[in-house]
This record gives sequence, C-alpha cells and structure tokens, in this order.
Amino acid sequence: MTLNNKPVIALTGATGFLGSHLMASLITKGYTIIVFGRPAKNESLKDRIFRLLKWFGVDNMSDQVTCIETDLSQDNLGISTGEYSRLRSVVDSVIHCASDTSFSESKREKVMAANINNLKGILEFSKNAHVNFFHYISTTYVAGTGVTYCKETLSSVKTFTNVYEESKAAAENIISRFCDKNDIPLSIIRPSIVYGNSQTGRSLKFNALYFPVRSAQSIRDIYLNDLMNNGGLKAAKNGIFIDKEGYLFLPLKIYLPYEGDINIIPVDYFVNTTIKIIENCSINGIYHLANPYRTTMKIVAKYYEQLMKVRGVEIIYGPMPNDLLRNPVEELFDRFIEPYRPYLSDNRVFDRTNTTLITDNINPPEFTYDIFKTCMEYAIKVNWGASIFE
Amino acid sequence: MNEILKTAKNCRHYAMCKIDFLDSGVCASGLEKHFVSFYPQGRMILYEALAENKISVTEKCVEIADSCDLCGKCDYQCYFLNEMRPTKVMGALKNHVETYIKNGGEIKPAKEDAILTEIRKIVGNDWATNDEGITVTYSHDLSAISEPKMPDYVVMPNTKEEIASLVKLCKKNNIPYTIRGNGQNLLGFAINEGVIIDLNRMKTIEFDEKNWLVKVGPGIAAFDLQKQAQKRGYRINAAEPAALLCANIMCSGIMSTFSTTYGINADNFINAEFVDHNGSFFNLNETSSPNLYSYKNLEHKNSPGICVSADIRLHPVTDDEKGILVPFETLNNALDFIKDCSVRHIGLALGVVGAEYISTFLSPTKKMASDIKNIFIDKLNIPWLVVVIGDKYAIRSIGEMGYPFFDQDLFRSLYLGLPSLKNAQWLEMAKDLSDDEPYSYLKVKSFAELFETALSPSAKLYAQEVDKDLIPFFEKLFSLPEMTDLVWLNMYRIMSTRLGRKKPFLPALLYLPIDKKLINEFCDKFRLIAEKYHIDNDFGFITPIDNGKRCIFEYDFFYDYNDPDEIQRIRQVGMEANMLIDEYSVKTGVVKGHPYVLYQGFCRKENLLYS
Repeated sequence: MTLNNKPVIALTGATGFLGSHLMASLITKGYTIIVFGRPAKNESLKDRIFRLLKWFGVDNMSDQVTCIETDLSQDNLGISTGEYSRLRSVVDSVIHCASDTSFSESKREKVMAANINNLKGILEFSKNAHVNFFHYISTTYVAGTGVTYCKETLSSVKTFTNVYEESKAAAENIISRFCDKNDIPLSIIRPSIVYGNSQTGRSLKFNALYFPVRSAQSIRDIYLNDLMNNGGLKAAKNGIFIDKEGYLFLPLKIYLPYEGDINIIPVDYFVNTTIKIIENCSINGIYHLANPYRTTMKIVAKYYEQLMKVRGVEIIYGPMPNDLLRNPVEELFDRFIEPYRPYLSDNRVFDRTNTTLITDNINPPEFTYDIFKTCMEYAIKVNWGASIFE
Repeated sequence: MNEILKTAKNCRHYAMCKIDFLDSGVCASGLEKHFVSFYPQGRMILYEALAENKISVTEKCVEIADSCDLCGKCDYQCYFLNEMRPTKVMGALKNHVETYIKNGGEIKPAKEDAILTEIRKIVGNDWATNDEGITVTYSHDLSAISEPKMPDYVVMPNTKEEIASLVKLCKKNNIPYTIRGNGQNLLGFAINEGVIIDLNRMKTIEFDEKNWLVKVGPGIAAFDLQKQAQKRGYRINAAEPAALLCANIMCSGIMSTFSTTYGINADNFINAEFVDHNGSFFNLNETSSPNLYSYKNLEHKNSPGICVSADIRLHPVTDDEKGILVPFETLNNALDFIKDCSVRHIGLALGVVGAEYISTFLSPTKKMASDIKNIFIDKLNIPWLVVVIGDKYAIRSIGEMGYPFFDQDLFRSLYLGLPSLKNAQWLEMAKDLSDDEPYSYLKVKSFAELFETALSPSAKLYAQEVDKDLIPFFEKLFSLPEMTDLVWLNMYRIMSTRLGRKKPFLPALLYLPIDKKLINEFCDKFRLIAEKYHIDNDFGFITPIDNGKRCIFEYDFFYDYNDPDEIQRIRQVGMEANMLIDEYSVKTGVVKGHPYVLYQGFCRKENLLYS
C-alpha cells in the first residue's frame, strides 16, 4: 500500500492500447504503477512509457510509475533474484493486460506463446507476492462461435473464430484454476471491440472498427487522385465518378453472412469501468464490457459516406454468390476486412449483469455520427497512428 | 575544389561510356581512336591531370580536346549511372587547351624512342604512343588498393600475332607489360609502368551456332556480345556490361544471377586461346597446354598468359521468360527460398538483394534512392527481395509454392511509379493488411490494377526526378519496354552499375554454402569491421550456384576515392575482411575467398568450390 492507501499495482501490457489508457487513468487517480514490460528495438521500456505518459498529458506524474524490464517467458520474469524479491514485497495487485492480439492462424505459435505460455511467470509472481487481487483483461469473444447468449461465466466452448479468441479462452481457464488453487482473488474483465475516446477521439491504436474505414478511405483516395490528376480513366472503367453534388460514387458492395451488430465500446468507458471493477469487484467476478446499444455496419457505412463524401457503399447480408464479379475496389476491400468480417455482423448478446451491478448501471454511449466523426477525424489527423507522437 | 574538377576526379572508371547501353550512341571519337583517352572516361582523367598540373599540354591533349564536339551523349550515360554530368568536364578540357594555346603555351611534342619505333613496327604508327596525354589516362583507376603508375607506352594491337610480337619485344628489352581490358580491375592490376597493352581494337565476334558457341576477341564487352547473341535468339552469361569477356574470365570468371543455371568459371566457355609469356600460342584444348582448369587456394599467382580469344557458351532462350521480385521480411527466409528454388531447378537466375540495392537500382537519383529505401523498409516492410528470372513454368511453380511476388506488370508500375510512392498514404495500410501473411496483398487479383491506379506510373512521371534539361531524353528512354523489363535488365546487368553512384565500392566476394548461420555471421562481422573504420557498408547480393550447394556472396564497402584518410581506412577494412574470410576458410573448409580466384577464372568450378 502507498501512503494514500491505494494499492501498488503491477501492470503488464502498459505499452499497448488498453494498457496504456488504463495506466494513464490509474495514475491520475493516485495509484502507484509498476510496469512489467519489454524494451522496443531502439527504445528502453522507460522511454516508451514516458513517451506514452507525455501523450496522455500525465508525464508530470511519472514518479508514480516504475518501469521494470521483464520477459514474461522467463523464470522469475527474467529479472534478478534480488529485484524479484523486492517487487514481491511491494506489489499489492496485478493487472495482466499484455496480449498478442493477432488473429492470424499463421501466427498461432506466437499468439499461444504470448497469451498462454507467458502466463506462468506472472501467475507465479502473483502467488509469491501474495497479491490481494489478480485482474485479467480478456475479451467478450472468448464466448466462441455458435453461442447466442454469452454469460459472464467461464467459457467451455471449443470453437472459435480465430487463434486470438481461442488463446484468451484457454488463458482464462488456466488463470482461474491457478488462482483457485493458490487462493488468489481473481477478476476477469472482458471488453468487446474498443475504439478511441468518445469525447476527444484520441486513441493509440487504429485497428478493428478503424480498419474498414481506413481501407475504404485509402481506396477512395486512390481513385480520387485518378479522377483529379490523371484523367480518371481507371476510375471510369470501374464505374467510379464524382456526382453533381461533389460526392465520389464508389461502387462497393460489402457482403456479410447474416444480419447482426458490431459491438463496440469507447476506450474511456473501458478505462472508467475497469477501474470501478478493480476497486469494487467480488472474488472470481467476470465482467462483460459490451455495448447494449446496437450498431450495424449499415450504420457505419452511412456514417462513412457522410464523412468521406462518398456514395455507393452497400451492405448486403447473405452469402456472396459464387459467380459474382467483384470490381478491384471490392476485391481489395474484401481482403482488407476478411479478419474482421465475423465481428461485423454478430448475433451474440453479451450478458452484462455483473457489470451493471458494479457500475451502477452506467452504459457505454451509443455509437452516434458525432462520435464516429470525432474518432475518425482524429485518426486521419494522426495519419492512422503514423504521426501520433509528432 | 570546383564542381567540374570534382566531377572529373569522381569518374567511376567503369567504362560504361564505351558501350551504347542506353541506345543513345557512344562518343564518336572513342569509336574511331579506340584509346580510352578519346572516350569521356579518358577525358575526365586528362582534365584532372591538366588542371592539377600533373602533365603539360601535349600534341595528343590537343587532339583529344579537339575531338570532342560536346554532343552531350556522355551526360545521358553518366547521369543514368552516377548522376554526374561529364559534358561540363569535356567543355572545361577544351577550354583549358584552347586558353593554353591562345596564351602562347608550348605544346609538348612526344619524342619517339627506339622502343616505340620497334612497337610501331608491330602495330603501326597510330596504335602506339608515349604521349603523356594518352599515357596519363591509363595511369590510375578508382582502386582503393593500387597507387597510380604512369606507363611509358600504350599500345593497341589488332591481332594475336601482334600481341605475341609485343610480348617478345618486351621480354627482349626487359620491359614490364600489362594487359588491359576496360581497366575495371579493383586491385589495380591494369595499372603499371612499362607497356600497357590495350586490347580494345580486337573486337571480333564469330558465331558457331551449330556448336552453341561464339568466339570472341579480347576487346569484346559483355554488353555488345549479349546484344549480338540476343539478336540470334541466344543468351550468354555476362558480368558487368562494360567488362571485356576474355579479361573477365581471366581475372575472376564470369558470374551473374544467371550463374544459378549457367554456372561460373569453366562453365562459361568451351575453349580459349592464349599468348604465353614467351610470345608462343596455346589453347586450352591442347593436351600439352598448362592446366588452367585446376585451382589452387593461393593469393599471389602469376597470369598464365594473355587470353586472345574465347569460345563462349550460348544458352537457349524461350519466349515465355519473365522476371519477378519476391519480397521477404528476413534474410533467412530469402535464403531458404533461393536454396529451395535452386535445389528444385526452379528459375534461370536468382539473386537476393537488400533494400539499399533495390532502391539504388530503381531510383534515378541518390536522393530518391535514399527515400525509396526507407519506404521499402518502413512502409512496405520489404527489407529483402529475391530477383527471379524464369519461364512460365518456373514462375507458376513459385506461385504454387505460396510466395506472393511482384510480377513484371507490378514491377513496371513500381519502377515508373516510384515518385508517387513517396506520398502514398495507403502503403501503411498495405502493410497492416498483411498481418496474417506477409505481402498477401500481392495475391489479390485486382491489386495490380489498384497499384497502377495509385502510382500512375509513366516514363513522364519517372523522368520528372532528373535534371530539367535531361527530362526529354529520360522520358523517351523509359518509354522503351526493355528499360522496365526485368529479364532485359538482368541479362544486361544495367541497373547494378548504379551501385557505385553514391561512392565507389570495394566488394568482399566469397563462395560458401547457403548456410544461414554462416552468412549472418559474415554479415555481422563485415559490418563490424566497416563500422570500426567508419566506412559505409551494405549487403550486396547472394546468388545460388551448383544446384544450391554453394552461393556467391558479395558484401560491399563504400569509400571516397578522393579522401586519403578514407582510402587508408578502406584498405584496413579490405585487409581485415580478407583475414576474416581466411579464418572461416580454414575453420569451415567450405568458404572460398574471391581474391584467390584472381587469374584462375578458367578453373573448373568443382575444383574451386569443393577442393
């Protein structure tokens, strides 16, 4: 415990999207954070964290953060015995947020190593440190496929959309058994798809929701350039033109297997709710941080058309005909969104009983055009993350 | 130092101004007079010598200066390769000589001596000289190892009999003689005192199609022979385009990316004729001839004689040959790929290159090469590429092996659309798109069309990057299909000559197994050696040979020829790199350093690689 009676939290994944937002909020609330992380190729962990704190505007609180370069795949976290012992005596609780979020089957080994094999080090540390809580940041999608109502309980499903879901579900079970065996109080926090701050649009990562928008924007720019600077022959060949109102007509039929939603929450909701859970949770509680308001790709497409001054985007539910001729825009877009397609029309409903109870029924905001606009304008401003620290 | 003198002193001495590789014509006086002095390369050296008062104005200086009509062809060629404009130097040379004469300067006459008289009896008056205006142009090159040496005479024989007589004359008078092809030897072997025998008049080419060979005189450059062979539907294995075939075989053996299937050393010829050091003839097919097919791992060897002709092997060509570029995230993956292809006999030519090289080859300027290199690494995530030339079956096989690649059409878009790449926002997205499988966007059928739409490639766009007054020429040049044809570019090796644009370079060349650990160790250690002496360095290329059992590996060290301190440092680097190769040669028993091959280029590759 620190002087202000806040527990000292060891946090993994602090350089990632959710972890960094969580770290920034926790220190503004007076927590002391010990970051377990790795240096980048040309940057120490301390420099990485300081750069992030600066971006969040909380670098004046950097004395509340201690950086420990660790390797979760190593015994004793890859740190010296003395350092390990010292940390064991000061850490009160652990938030394990580090994760490999790749969906790619070709990266199975890497994903499994990061999300499952690396658990051993952090769990052993938690046991040795006698932590008063182990909080695991998971995902609602451990629910797997073939389930319509997803409860806030451990998943026993065996089929998943991708290796990421599979690894997170397996990790939950491993952590649960370990904590149960070693009397470590556990909470599992399962966010759905997280986008940027609903008020400011700020975000550190621009995947998931952003990816289809970014893909469509890139394709739009390619053809706009062709129309504006190169005579537009290529555009014309594919039925792309600028209409009388100045909108770009971009014929883009997006096929989704069936009607469904995309479940998205803003990162500010994730952070606020997670901290509430950390501060008030019950032992072995599982919490779905999902959005009860429906958002469909039809809505996102409409928002996209409005913001980007584009027409011609069509969402079609049902199987894509086998003999359907796709134009280059559609073919590339299909390829772009393939990994995300299962999340774009989702029929699963996520139980929010535990979350509602602990957060006094605070819901994430409905995904409005204003939020979409704020988030996408920020993403474009920072060139989808490429110039975020400039 | 003024810009003109700086240009003159930076002539790369690659002799590319002696071949018509851009189809823009070659310096007319050079073609007539043959001495290097009458080509732009020679005039650059001559201007430097006059500007720095190393020699006085001689009769030949006047003739050389007068013979230039400032047509500007050398600007096209030199700018293409090195971003240099020699025409300014040509103008300065003319101006220097004219001003000297106008101011009443004395023109130094060449004095004929007894030896020159004898030499002229052999080759004729026009083809031997001791005029310093000529001899100075043969006195140095950009070798980091050698020191300049002023020859006493430069002679241009026209027949093997003349060469034999010259050898006998030199021997009788105890005068050293040195054979010169196009003077590109990196160790300064084409520089000496005494007599320089320049073979550039001996340009005979005799095809013997029934026996799949072509007999060439020692003055034939790889580019010129390839052109003739191509016209007849054949291909030869050619090294640097301006390298003379006979000299090339003599020094180190011919090697190129086509060596994957055409081989190295003795694989490239059927017979060769020599004049020995007594002025007698022998050819390799005689049982009494020296055994030049053998190989000894010795650094210092004597030349077996003067190669006066070689019967070069002709290779068949099919009309479905194409070039592709296969991208890789790591060198190890690229090595696995070339080994696999080579073992399976897939592809005619294979070569691994890094981002530095591909960006240098493709870019019209140094600045753009630097920008494009960053784009390749950071935005496209392509630090390594394998160039493959193959027929439709080979290319199809690579597709079936699951490798995404830039085909000929995508390559053309990439090449002529390079200026658009700098501002392409969508590149980042292409990288993200490949999270599940690197470069998988290349497998999307319509990607080529989008890529072309996005880059708007054209000769006009590409030419905008060059000096304003050269734009029309470059626009026309890059409209030629061959300039963006990977097969043509590789078989003529035009692009690789851009490698010395930033600085001249000293290559470490070695033969070794395609062993990832070994190759990575060499890369790391070469880099460390170079960094110790603050020398720019980079991976050159790797080409598999002999069914993937071995490969040719080049690692390059770049240096400023005009910086004496850097010359000292590059010499240290060269020495330590050779010591490293020696160390591994002993330790592994499978590594062979290229310096040992010098003068053994006629050896059987099996004797070189496996003995």
